[in-house]
Amino acid sequence: MENSFSFPSIHNFPPFYTLQPTQTTWQNQALLWSEIILSYYKHHKLYRLNLSESLNSELFNCQEIRRKLKLDTLQAIIDTMVYRGTAEWDSPSKKDSAIIYWRKPEDWANLINNWVLETGMSNSIVTVYEIAHGDSSEGFEFHGLDQTILMKALDILVKKGVAQTFQGTSTDDMGVKFFGMNG
Amino acid sequence: MGNKNSKITSQDRAILDLKVQRDKLKQYQKKIQLVADRETQIAKEALLKNNKRGALLALKKKKYQEQLLSKTDAQLLNLEQLTQSIEFALVEKEVFAGLEQGNLILKEIHNETPIEKVEKLMEDTADAIAYQNEISEALSGKLTSEDEEEILAELDQIVKEQLVDKLPPVPEQIPQQQIPQEQKAETKQPQKENKQLEAALEAA
Repeated sequence: MENSFSFPSIHNFPPFYTLQPTQTTWQNQALLWSEIILSYYKHHKLYRLNLSESLNSELFNCQEIRRKLKLDTLQAIIDTMVYRGTAEWDSPSKKDSAIIYWRKPEDWANLINNWVLETGMSNSIVTVYEIAHGDSSEGFEFHGLDQTILMKALDILVKKGVAQTFQGTSTDDMGVKFFGMNG
Repeated sequence: MGNKNSKITSQDRAILDLKVQRDKLKQYQKKIQLVADRETQIAKEALLKNNKRGALLALKKKKYQEQLLSKTDAQLLNLEQLTQSIEFALVEKEVFAGLEQGNLILKEIHNETPIEKVEKLMEDTADAIAYQNEISEALSGKLTSEDEEEILAELDQIVKEQLVDKLPPVPEQIPQQQIPQEQKAETKQPQKENKQLEAALEAA
């Protein structure tokens, strides 16, 4: 990790790693955890949380106080985030990995739409790969955006009527045609 | 996908195909670049182990991959040129369509205003203006010469009144001291001359 993320002081508080039995305390605890997860993921521009893997990362495993979050506690935290719309299970039955929305798909959609307007790409064809990994999106916030989130954002733009996704004649790769404003 | 296919033309699909190919070439280049960098590493490691043959092989592979890279560069350039030509041709097509539409509307507007009608209208307008002039003349001619004399008399009267207004008011009293010095001197001089003359006369 290039520049390290500075955790809030609660991250060094041992009881923070145990699911609190009192309902109100637990709700507060889950909210604090979700805030840490969101800001950590935003800081490092991460989108996907693999539960079993990340339990050993600095995010959920605090070396200083030798405390580690348990899998079911993390699942319960993610559940509250899903409820609030800041996360989504890849598979709600398995609960082994989730997408973290430190920015909502609607906001990603707006950023992409603004980029299209600013770069004068209305009415031109853009590949989905190009939006997240192309030279033209370099330096924009959605550069390197997770494919699942990107597709959700594009779906929003399609529903608004400002874009149209389609496939080429010989390939399965998706492309987008942007129509500009009217959203 | 597929719900509003009407907005996607076959040209759009063709452009997408080209752009997808471009993306794939770029990904391929990234891969080749990584492999080429790795070969340099392998060559260095082989040399450390005194494996000159292995190092040479790795460098040869690297050279080959670099050739591939420059070939794909040329392909990329071709692809992008073609894509841009198509996009530009589409823009030209749209400009042409726009001009055509504008021309059509201009013609329609012209059809609505045929030249004979315009000429007729201009004639009518000229007639109307002439008629208006006649009316004006007729109306102004109705003033009799008596009327005109009266008008002129009134004008003179006003002019006279204005002249009187413009004259400075006559002062009621002329204060004695206000007689200018020069005037006094002037009045005194002739007296002196008179005395001189008198003296001269007496002397004679």
